[in-house]
Amino acid sequence: MARIEINNLTKNFGDLTALDDVTVSLEQGQIVGLLGPNGSGKTTLIKILNGLLQPTSGSVTINGSAPGVETKKVVAYLPDRNALPDYMTASQLMDIYEDFFEDFDRLKAEAMVDDLGINRKQTMKKMSKGTKEKLQLCLVMARQAEVYLLDEPIGGVDPATRDYILRTIISNYNENAVVLISTHLIADVESVLDDVVFIKDGRVVLHKAADEIREEKGESVDKLFREVFKC
Amino acid sequence: MLGKLLKYEIPAMGRKLLPLYAAWAATALLLGLTTQSAESKNEFMVVISALLYTAIATTIFVMTIILIVQRYSNSLLGDEAYFNHVLPVSVAEHIGNKAISATLWIFVTILVAIFTGLLIGIGALIVSGEFISLRDLIQGFYEIELPKHFGLYVIEFLLLAITGTVKTIMQIYAAITIGHQVQNRTTLASIGAYIMIMIFESSVGRAFLPLFINLEYNADGFMNFNRVFMPGFIMAVIFSAIYFFICKYLMEKRLNLN
Repeated sequence: MARIEINNLTKNFGDLTALDDVTVSLEQGQIVGLLGPNGSGKTTLIKILNGLLQPTSGSVTINGSAPGVETKKVVAYLPDRNALPDYMTASQLMDIYEDFFEDFDRLKAEAMVDDLGINRKQTMKKMSKGTKEKLQLCLVMARQAEVYLLDEPIGGVDPATRDYILRTIISNYNENAVVLISTHLIADVESVLDDVVFIKDGRVVLHKAADEIREEKGESVDKLFREVFKC
Repeated sequence: MLGKLLKYEIPAMGRKLLPLYAAWAATALLLGLTTQSAESKNEFMVVISALLYTAIATTIFVMTIILIVQRYSNSLLGDEAYFNHVLPVSVAEHIGNKAISATLWIFVTILVAIFTGLLIGIGALIVSGEFISLRDLIQGFYEIELPKHFGLYVIEFLLLAITGTVKTIMQIYAAITIGHQVQNRTTLASIGAYIMIMIFESSVGRAFLPLFINLEYNADGFMNFNRVFMPGFIMAVIFSAIYFFICKYLMEKRLNLN
Protein backbone atom coordinates (compact mmCIF):
# COMPACT_ATOMS: atom_id res chain seq x y z
CA MET A 1 0.00 0.00 0.00
CA ALA A 2 1.34 3.42 -0.99
CA ARG A 3 1.80 5.96 1.79
CA ILE A 4 -0.20 8.56 -0.16
CA GLU A 5 -2.85 7.64 -2.75
CA ILE A 6 -4.56 10.30 -4.85
CA ASN A 7 -7.24 8.99 -7.19
CA ASN A 8 -9.03 11.01 -9.88
CA LEU A 9 -8.95 14.06 -7.67
CA THR A 10 -10.78 17.15 -8.91
CA LYS A 11 -11.29 20.38 -7.05
CA ASN A 12 -13.39 23.25 -8.38
CA PHE A 13 -13.74 26.72 -6.91
CA GLY A 14 -16.88 27.92 -8.66
CA ASP A 15 -15.98 28.02 -12.35
CA LEU A 16 -12.27 27.58 -11.71
CA THR A 17 -10.80 24.07 -11.78
CA ALA A 18 -7.84 24.03 -9.39
CA LEU A 19 -7.18 20.28 -9.71
CA ASP A 20 -8.31 18.26 -12.68
CA ASP A 21 -8.49 14.46 -12.37
CA VAL A 22 -5.19 14.08 -10.53
CA THR A 23 -3.96 10.54 -9.86
CA VAL A 24 -0.67 10.08 -8.02
CA SER A 25 0.72 7.41 -5.74
CA LEU A 26 3.66 8.13 -3.41
CA GLU A 27 5.64 5.44 -1.64
CA GLN A 28 7.48 5.82 1.63
CA GLY A 29 11.24 6.37 1.74
CA GLN A 30 11.45 9.22 -0.72
CA ILE A 31 11.58 12.98 -0.98
CA VAL A 32 9.15 14.14 -3.64
CA GLY A 33 9.12 17.55 -5.29
CA LEU A 34 5.66 18.86 -6.15
CA LEU A 35 6.73 21.36 -8.75
CA GLY A 36 4.71 23.87 -10.66
CA PRO A 37 4.28 27.60 -11.20
CA ASN A 38 2.12 29.81 -9.00
CA GLY A 39 -1.55 28.88 -9.25
CA SER A 40 -0.90 25.41 -10.66
CA GLY A 41 -2.72 23.62 -7.82
CA LYS A 42 0.16 22.62 -5.51
CA THR A 43 -1.24 24.25 -2.38
CA THR A 44 -4.76 23.02 -3.15
CA LEU A 45 -3.48 19.43 -3.34
CA ILE A 46 -1.59 19.73 -0.06
CA LYS A 47 -4.60 21.30 1.67
CA ILE A 48 -6.81 18.43 0.52
CA LEU A 49 -4.28 15.93 1.90
CA ASN A 50 -4.57 17.75 5.24
CA GLY A 51 -8.38 17.83 5.20
CA LEU A 52 -8.39 21.64 5.00
CA LEU A 53 -10.21 21.54 1.66
CA GLN A 54 -12.77 19.02 0.51
CA PRO A 55 -12.45 17.44 -2.94
CA THR A 56 -15.15 18.08 -5.53
CA SER A 57 -14.67 14.48 -6.71
CA GLY A 58 -12.12 11.71 -6.37
CA SER A 59 -10.34 10.67 -3.21
CA VAL A 60 -7.11 10.93 -1.23
CA THR A 61 -5.82 8.49 1.38
CA ILE A 62 -2.84 8.45 3.71
CA ASN A 63 -1.91 4.99 4.99
CA GLY A 64 -5.23 3.85 3.51
CA SER A 65 -7.38 6.34 5.45
CA ALA A 66 -9.13 9.50 4.31
CA PRO A 67 -7.82 12.68 6.01
CA GLY A 68 -9.01 12.67 9.64
CA VAL A 69 -7.84 12.33 13.21
CA GLU A 70 -5.83 9.16 12.46
CA THR A 71 -3.95 10.64 9.48
CA LYS A 72 -3.26 13.85 11.38
CA LYS A 73 -1.31 11.83 13.94
CA VAL A 74 1.24 10.88 11.29
CA VAL A 75 1.23 13.95 9.01
CA ALA A 76 3.51 16.91 9.69
CA TYR A 77 2.29 19.93 7.74
CA LEU A 78 4.05 23.19 7.02
CA PRO A 79 1.48 25.65 5.61
CA ASP A 80 2.29 28.44 3.17
CA ARG A 81 1.42 31.06 5.78
CA ASN A 82 1.91 31.79 9.45
CA ALA A 83 -0.74 29.74 11.20
CA LEU A 84 0.58 29.79 14.76
CA PRO A 85 -1.07 31.95 17.45
CA ASP A 86 0.91 35.21 17.48
CA TYR A 87 0.65 35.77 21.24
CA MET A 88 2.60 32.61 22.01
CA THR A 89 6.34 32.26 22.49
CA ALA A 90 8.49 29.66 20.72
CA SER A 91 8.70 27.76 23.99
CA GLN A 92 4.91 27.72 24.47
CA LEU A 93 4.44 26.50 20.91
CA MET A 94 6.83 23.64 21.62
CA ASP A 95 4.63 22.82 24.64
CA ILE A 96 1.59 22.57 22.34
CA TYR A 97 3.39 20.30 19.89
CA GLU A 98 4.61 18.14 22.76
CA ASP A 99 1.05 17.87 24.12
CA PHE A 100 -0.63 16.96 20.85
CA PHE A 101 1.94 15.01 18.85
CA GLU A 102 3.40 11.86 20.32
CA ASP A 103 6.13 11.88 17.66
CA PHE A 104 7.38 15.37 18.59
CA ASP A 105 11.03 15.42 19.68
CA ARG A 106 11.35 18.38 22.05
CA LEU A 107 15.14 18.22 22.32
CA LYS A 108 15.49 18.21 18.56
CA ALA A 109 13.14 21.21 18.24
CA GLU A 110 15.09 23.14 20.88
CA ALA A 111 18.37 22.36 19.15
CA MET A 112 16.99 23.56 15.80
CA VAL A 113 15.52 26.72 17.35
CA ASP A 114 18.89 27.50 18.96
CA ASP A 115 20.80 26.73 15.74
CA LEU A 116 18.66 29.23 13.88
CA GLY A 117 19.09 31.86 16.61
CA ILE A 118 15.40 32.04 17.52
CA ASN A 119 14.67 33.49 20.95
CA ARG A 120 12.55 30.90 22.75
CA LYS A 121 10.95 33.54 24.97
CA GLN A 122 9.96 35.90 22.17
CA THR A 123 6.32 35.93 21.08
CA MET A 124 5.47 35.24 17.45
CA LYS A 125 4.07 38.78 17.18
CA LYS A 126 7.54 40.23 17.75
CA MET A 127 9.30 37.91 15.31
CA SER A 128 10.15 38.85 11.74
CA LYS A 129 8.36 37.08 8.88
CA GLY A 130 11.44 34.97 8.15
CA THR A 131 11.88 33.98 11.81
CA LYS A 132 8.24 32.91 12.00
CA GLU A 133 8.76 30.68 8.97
CA LYS A 134 11.90 29.20 10.50
CA LEU A 135 10.11 28.47 13.76
CA GLN A 136 7.21 26.78 11.98
CA LEU A 137 9.66 24.63 10.09
CA CYS A 138 11.54 23.69 13.29
CA LEU A 139 8.30 22.52 14.90
CA VAL A 140 7.26 20.50 11.86
CA MET A 141 10.65 18.91 11.21
CA ALA A 142 11.14 18.02 14.87
CA ARG A 143 8.40 15.43 14.48
CA GLN A 144 9.17 11.83 13.57
CA ALA A 145 6.22 11.79 11.20
CA GLU A 146 5.39 9.31 8.46
CA VAL A 147 4.34 12.02 6.02
CA TYR A 148 5.78 15.54 5.73
CA LEU A 149 3.78 17.98 3.62
CA LEU A 150 5.88 21.09 3.17
CA ASP A 151 4.24 23.93 1.26
CA GLU A 152 6.90 26.36 0.01
CA PRO A 153 9.33 25.67 2.89
CA ILE A 154 12.14 27.78 1.44
CA GLY A 155 10.12 30.57 -0.14
CA GLY A 156 10.64 33.33 2.39
CA VAL A 157 14.03 32.63 3.95
CA ASP A 158 17.60 33.71 3.22
CA PRO A 159 20.00 31.40 1.30
CA ALA A 160 21.91 30.34 4.43
CA THR A 161 18.69 29.28 6.15
CA ARG A 162 17.60 27.61 2.91
CA ASP A 163 20.69 25.37 3.11
CA TYR A 164 19.98 24.64 6.76
CA ILE A 165 16.38 23.71 5.96
CA LEU A 166 17.40 21.38 3.16
CA ARG A 167 20.03 19.75 5.38
CA THR A 168 17.35 19.32 8.05
CA ILE A 169 14.97 17.68 5.58
CA ILE A 170 17.66 15.26 4.44
CA SER A 171 18.75 14.43 7.98
CA ASN A 172 15.12 13.77 8.94
CA TYR A 173 14.60 11.54 5.97
CA ASN A 174 13.95 7.94 6.91
CA GLU A 175 12.74 4.83 5.15
CA ASN A 176 9.31 5.02 6.75
CA ALA A 177 8.55 8.59 5.74
CA VAL A 178 7.60 10.38 2.59
CA VAL A 179 8.45 14.06 2.25
CA LEU A 180 6.39 16.09 -0.22
CA ILE A 181 7.92 19.50 -0.94
CA SER A 182 5.87 22.00 -2.89
CA THR A 183 7.94 24.74 -4.50
CA HIS A 184 8.75 26.64 -7.67
CA LEU A 185 12.38 27.20 -6.57
CA ILE A 186 13.58 24.03 -8.32
CA ALA A 187 17.31 24.72 -8.43
CA ASP A 188 17.47 25.01 -4.64
CA VAL A 189 15.71 21.72 -3.89
CA GLU A 190 16.77 19.62 -6.88
CA SER A 191 19.71 18.04 -5.11
CA VAL A 192 17.50 16.50 -2.39
CA LEU A 193 14.69 15.16 -4.59
CA ASP A 194 14.18 11.46 -5.33
CA ASP A 195 10.95 11.87 -7.23
CA VAL A 196 9.38 14.73 -9.14
CA VAL A 197 5.73 15.60 -9.84
CA PHE A 198 5.15 18.42 -12.34
CA ILE A 199 1.75 20.04 -12.00
CA LYS A 200 0.35 22.48 -14.54
CA ASP A 201 -3.12 24.05 -14.58
CA GLY A 202 -4.29 21.48 -12.05
CA ARG A 203 -3.11 18.46 -14.04
CA VAL A 204 -0.12 16.23 -13.40
CA VAL A 205 2.02 16.47 -16.51
CA LEU A 206 4.99 14.42 -15.30
CA HIS A 207 5.73 12.01 -12.46
CA LYS A 208 9.21 10.50 -12.58
CA ALA A 209 12.31 9.79 -10.54
CA ALA A 210 14.70 12.76 -10.60
CA ASP A 211 17.58 10.50 -11.73
CA GLU A 212 15.46 9.15 -14.58
CA ILE A 213 14.83 12.67 -15.85
CA ARG A 214 18.53 13.45 -15.80
CA GLU A 215 19.41 10.18 -17.59
CA GLU A 216 16.62 10.18 -20.17
CA LYS A 217 16.54 13.87 -21.00
CA GLY A 218 20.16 14.59 -20.25
CA GLU A 219 19.23 17.75 -18.38
CA SER A 220 18.55 18.94 -14.87
CA VAL A 221 15.07 18.98 -13.35
CA ASP A 222 15.35 22.76 -13.19
CA LYS A 223 16.03 23.00 -16.93
CA LEU A 224 13.19 20.63 -17.75
CA PHE A 225 10.88 22.66 -15.52
CA ARG A 226 11.77 25.83 -17.44
CA GLU A 227 10.97 24.07 -20.71
CA VAL A 228 7.67 22.59 -19.57
CA PHE A 229 6.45 25.79 -17.93
CA LYS A 230 7.82 28.20 -20.51
CA CYS A 231 5.63 31.32 -20.72
CA MET B 1 -7.72 15.77 23.81
CA LEU B 2 -10.54 18.12 24.92
CA GLY B 3 -8.70 18.76 28.18
CA LYS B 4 -5.53 19.64 26.28
CA LEU B 5 -7.44 22.04 24.04
CA LEU B 6 -9.02 23.74 27.06
CA LYS B 7 -5.58 24.05 28.66
CA TYR B 8 -4.65 26.50 25.90
CA GLU B 9 -8.06 27.99 25.08
CA ILE B 10 -9.05 29.19 28.56
CA PRO B 11 -5.87 31.26 29.09
CA ALA B 12 -6.14 32.61 25.54
CA MET B 13 -9.33 34.46 26.50
CA GLY B 14 -8.16 35.14 30.04
CA ARG B 15 -5.08 37.07 28.95
CA LYS B 16 -7.38 39.74 27.47
CA LEU B 17 -10.09 39.72 30.15
CA LEU B 18 -8.13 39.40 33.41
CA PRO B 19 -6.47 42.87 33.21
CA LEU B 20 -9.90 44.39 32.49
CA TYR B 21 -11.38 42.58 35.51
CA ALA B 22 -8.63 44.07 37.69
CA ALA B 23 -9.34 47.56 36.35
CA TRP B 24 -13.08 47.01 36.89
CA ALA B 25 -12.56 45.95 40.52
CA ALA B 26 -10.32 48.95 41.17
CA THR B 27 -12.91 51.42 39.79
CA ALA B 28 -15.65 49.66 41.79
CA LEU B 29 -13.71 50.20 45.00
CA LEU B 30 -13.00 53.80 44.03
CA LEU B 31 -16.70 54.34 43.34
CA GLY B 32 -17.62 52.90 46.74
CA LEU B 33 -15.10 55.09 48.54
CA THR B 34 -16.15 58.28 46.75
CA THR B 35 -19.92 57.67 47.01
CA GLN B 36 -19.97 57.70 50.77
CA SER B 37 -17.80 60.75 51.09
CA ALA B 38 -19.56 62.66 48.30
CA GLU B 39 -21.93 64.75 50.37
CA SER B 40 -19.24 66.36 52.38
CA LYS B 41 -16.36 66.28 49.94
CA ASN B 42 -16.26 65.75 46.20
CA GLU B 43 -19.25 65.04 43.96
CA PHE B 44 -17.05 65.42 40.89
CA MET B 45 -15.06 62.32 41.91
CA VAL B 46 -18.28 60.29 42.23
CA VAL B 47 -19.32 61.20 38.70
CA ILE B 48 -15.86 60.42 37.30
CA SER B 49 -15.55 57.07 39.09
CA ALA B 50 -19.14 56.11 38.13
CA LEU B 51 -18.37 56.92 34.49
CA LEU B 52 -15.14 54.91 34.66
CA TYR B 53 -16.93 51.96 36.23
CA THR B 54 -19.65 51.99 33.56
CA ALA B 55 -17.15 52.41 30.73
CA ILE B 56 -15.06 49.44 31.88
CA ALA B 57 -18.18 47.32 32.46
CA THR B 58 -19.39 48.09 28.92
CA THR B 59 -15.92 47.36 27.50
CA ILE B 60 -15.80 44.00 29.26
CA PHE B 61 -19.22 42.89 28.03
CA VAL B 62 -18.49 44.01 24.46
CA MET B 63 -14.98 42.48 24.63
CA THR B 64 -16.37 39.16 25.86
CA ILE B 65 -18.69 38.93 22.84
CA ILE B 66 -15.93 40.00 20.42
CA LEU B 67 -13.53 37.45 21.91
CA ILE B 68 -16.10 34.65 21.60
CA VAL B 69 -16.56 35.46 17.91
CA GLN B 70 -12.83 36.00 17.25
CA ARG B 71 -11.59 32.90 19.06
CA TYR B 72 -13.97 30.72 17.05
CA SER B 73 -13.62 32.45 13.71
CA ASN B 74 -9.82 32.89 13.69
CA SER B 75 -8.97 29.54 15.26
CA LEU B 76 -11.29 27.29 13.28
CA LEU B 77 -12.00 29.20 10.08
CA GLY B 78 -9.17 31.76 9.76
CA ASP B 79 -5.38 31.56 9.47
CA GLU B 80 -4.93 29.71 12.78
CA ALA B 81 -7.21 26.99 11.41
CA TYR B 82 -4.25 25.83 9.31
CA PHE B 83 -2.64 24.89 12.60
CA ASN B 84 -5.69 23.83 14.65
CA HIS B 85 -7.26 21.60 12.01
CA VAL B 86 -4.08 19.57 11.57
CA LEU B 87 -3.96 18.68 15.26
CA PRO B 88 -5.13 15.09 15.82
CA VAL B 89 -8.38 16.29 17.37
CA SER B 90 -11.96 15.71 16.22
CA VAL B 91 -14.11 18.59 15.00
CA ALA B 92 -16.57 17.90 17.83
CA GLU B 93 -13.78 18.44 20.38
CA HIS B 94 -12.73 21.68 18.69
CA ILE B 95 -16.28 23.07 18.82
CA GLY B 96 -16.81 21.77 22.38
CA ASN B 97 -13.57 23.41 23.46
CA LYS B 98 -14.62 26.82 22.16
CA ALA B 99 -18.14 26.54 23.63
CA ILE B 100 -16.96 25.43 27.09
CA SER B 101 -14.32 28.15 27.29
CA ALA B 102 -16.75 30.86 26.10
CA THR B 103 -19.42 29.73 28.60
CA LEU B 104 -16.88 29.71 31.40
CA TRP B 105 -15.70 33.25 30.68
CA ILE B 106 -19.27 34.58 30.42
CA PHE B 107 -19.98 33.21 33.91
CA VAL B 108 -16.68 34.54 35.24
CA THR B 109 -17.67 37.97 33.87
CA ILE B 110 -21.05 37.73 35.64
CA LEU B 111 -19.32 36.70 38.90
CA VAL B 112 -16.88 39.58 38.58
CA ALA B 113 -19.83 41.92 38.02
CA ILE B 114 -21.39 40.70 41.30
CA PHE B 115 -18.02 41.01 43.01
CA THR B 116 -17.60 44.63 41.85
CA GLY B 117 -21.08 45.36 43.25
CA LEU B 118 -19.88 44.03 46.60
CA LEU B 119 -16.72 46.11 46.32
CA ILE B 120 -18.77 49.27 45.86
CA GLY B 121 -20.64 48.37 49.04
CA ILE B 122 -17.45 47.54 50.94
CA GLY B 123 -15.83 50.80 49.83
CA ALA B 124 -18.83 52.73 51.07
CA LEU B 125 -18.84 50.87 54.40
CA ILE B 126 -15.11 51.53 54.92
CA VAL B 127 -15.62 55.28 54.54
CA SER B 128 -18.76 55.35 56.71
CA GLY B 129 -17.07 53.27 59.41
CA GLU B 130 -20.00 50.85 59.50
CA PHE B 131 -17.97 47.91 58.33
CA ILE B 132 -19.70 44.62 59.08
CA SER B 133 -17.53 41.71 60.16
CA LEU B 134 -17.52 38.57 58.01
CA ARG B 135 -18.93 36.65 60.98
CA ASP B 136 -21.93 38.99 61.23
CA LEU B 137 -22.44 38.74 57.50
CA ILE B 138 -22.54 34.92 57.56
CA GLN B 139 -24.81 34.95 60.61
CA GLY B 140 -27.10 37.35 58.75
CA PHE B 141 -27.41 34.93 55.86
CA TYR B 142 -28.34 32.09 58.27
CA GLU B 143 -31.14 34.18 59.68
CA ILE B 144 -32.80 34.66 56.31
CA GLU B 145 -35.84 32.43 56.00
CA LEU B 146 -35.59 30.58 52.69
CA PRO B 147 -38.71 29.64 50.72
CA LYS B 148 -39.69 25.99 50.22
CA HIS B 149 -37.66 24.17 47.52
CA PHE B 150 -35.12 27.03 47.50
CA GLY B 151 -32.28 24.64 46.59
CA LEU B 152 -34.23 23.27 43.62
CA TYR B 153 -35.05 26.78 42.43
CA VAL B 154 -31.35 27.64 42.47
CA ILE B 155 -30.36 24.43 40.65
CA GLU B 156 -33.01 24.89 37.98
CA PHE B 157 -32.15 28.56 37.56
CA LEU B 158 -28.46 27.70 37.14
CA LEU B 159 -29.27 24.94 34.64
CA LEU B 160 -31.41 27.36 32.66
CA ALA B 161 -28.68 30.01 32.74
CA ILE B 162 -26.00 27.55 31.59
CA THR B 163 -28.05 25.95 28.81
CA GLY B 164 -29.31 29.36 27.67
CA THR B 165 -25.75 30.67 27.51
CA VAL B 166 -24.51 27.62 25.61
CA LYS B 167 -27.42 27.98 23.18
CA THR B 168 -26.58 31.64 22.52
CA ILE B 169 -22.91 30.76 21.92
CA MET B 170 -23.81 27.90 19.59
CA GLN B 171 -26.17 30.25 17.70
CA ILE B 172 -23.23 32.58 17.06
CA TYR B 173 -20.93 29.68 16.07
CA ALA B 174 -23.51 28.25 13.67
CA ALA B 175 -24.01 31.66 12.03
CA ILE B 176 -20.25 32.13 11.60
CA THR B 177 -19.78 28.62 10.17
CA ILE B 178 -22.69 29.04 7.75
CA GLY B 179 -21.33 32.47 6.75
CA HIS B 180 -17.96 30.93 5.91
CA GLN B 181 -19.61 28.76 3.28
CA VAL B 182 -19.78 31.93 1.21
CA GLN B 183 -16.35 32.72 -0.23
CA ASN B 184 -16.84 36.49 -0.44
CA ARG B 185 -18.57 38.78 2.06
CA THR B 186 -18.27 36.22 4.83
CA THR B 187 -19.18 38.69 7.60
CA LEU B 188 -22.33 39.80 5.81
CA ALA B 189 -23.29 36.17 5.18
CA SER B 190 -22.73 35.35 8.87
CA ILE B 191 -24.99 38.22 9.97
CA GLY B 192 -27.63 37.03 7.49
CA ALA B 193 -27.30 33.49 8.84
CA TYR B 194 -27.72 34.78 12.40
CA ILE B 195 -30.94 36.60 11.49
CA MET B 196 -32.27 33.44 9.80
CA ILE B 197 -31.38 31.38 12.89
CA MET B 198 -33.28 33.83 15.12
CA ILE B 199 -36.34 33.67 12.86
CA PHE B 200 -36.17 29.85 12.83
CA GLU B 201 -35.85 29.71 16.60
CA SER B 202 -38.74 32.04 17.32
CA SER B 203 -40.97 30.18 14.83
CA VAL B 204 -40.25 26.85 16.50
CA GLY B 205 -40.68 28.44 19.92
CA ARG B 206 -44.10 29.85 18.98
CA ALA B 207 -45.19 26.43 17.71
CA PHE B 208 -44.17 24.47 20.81
CA LEU B 209 -44.60 26.94 23.66
CA PRO B 210 -48.43 26.54 23.90
CA LEU B 211 -47.92 22.86 24.76
CA PHE B 212 -46.23 23.90 28.00
CA ILE B 213 -48.33 26.98 28.76
CA ASN B 214 -51.52 24.94 28.60
CA LEU B 215 -50.32 22.60 31.34
CA GLU B 216 -52.66 22.62 34.30
CA TYR B 217 -51.99 25.25 36.95
CA ASN B 218 -50.68 23.71 40.16
CA ALA B 219 -51.04 25.07 43.66
CA ASP B 220 -47.42 24.21 44.39
CA GLY B 221 -45.24 27.19 43.49
CA PHE B 222 -42.32 24.99 42.47
CA MET B 223 -44.45 23.11 39.95
CA ASN B 224 -45.50 26.44 38.45
CA PHE B 225 -41.88 27.51 38.28
CA ASN B 226 -41.25 24.32 36.34
CA ARG B 227 -43.86 25.43 33.79
CA VAL B 228 -41.50 28.28 32.94
CA PHE B 229 -38.25 26.40 33.47
CA MET B 230 -38.95 23.24 31.49
CA PRO B 231 -39.75 24.76 28.08
CA GLY B 232 -36.75 27.08 28.33
CA PHE B 233 -34.44 24.27 29.39
CA ILE B 234 -35.65 21.75 26.78
CA MET B 235 -35.60 24.30 23.97
CA ALA B 236 -32.09 25.44 24.91
CA VAL B 237 -30.77 21.86 24.90
CA ILE B 238 -32.44 20.99 21.58
CA PHE B 239 -31.34 24.19 19.84
CA SER B 240 -27.78 23.86 21.18
CA ALA B 241 -27.65 20.32 19.78
CA ILE B 242 -29.01 21.46 16.39
CA TYR B 243 -26.46 24.30 16.11
CA PHE B 244 -23.64 22.02 17.27
CA PHE B 245 -24.42 19.47 14.55
CA ILE B 246 -24.68 22.20 11.91
CA CYS B 247 -21.18 23.41 12.86
CA LYS B 248 -19.83 19.84 13.02
CA TYR B 249 -21.29 18.83 9.67
CA LEU B 250 -20.08 21.94 7.86
CA MET B 251 -16.58 21.69 9.32
CA GLU B 252 -16.24 17.98 8.62
CA LYS B 253 -17.79 17.85 5.17
CA ARG B 254 -17.67 21.37 3.78
CA LEU B 255 -14.52 22.93 5.25
CA ASN B 256 -12.76 24.97 2.56
CA LEU B 257 -10.00 27.14 3.97
CA ASN B 258 -8.81 29.71 1.50
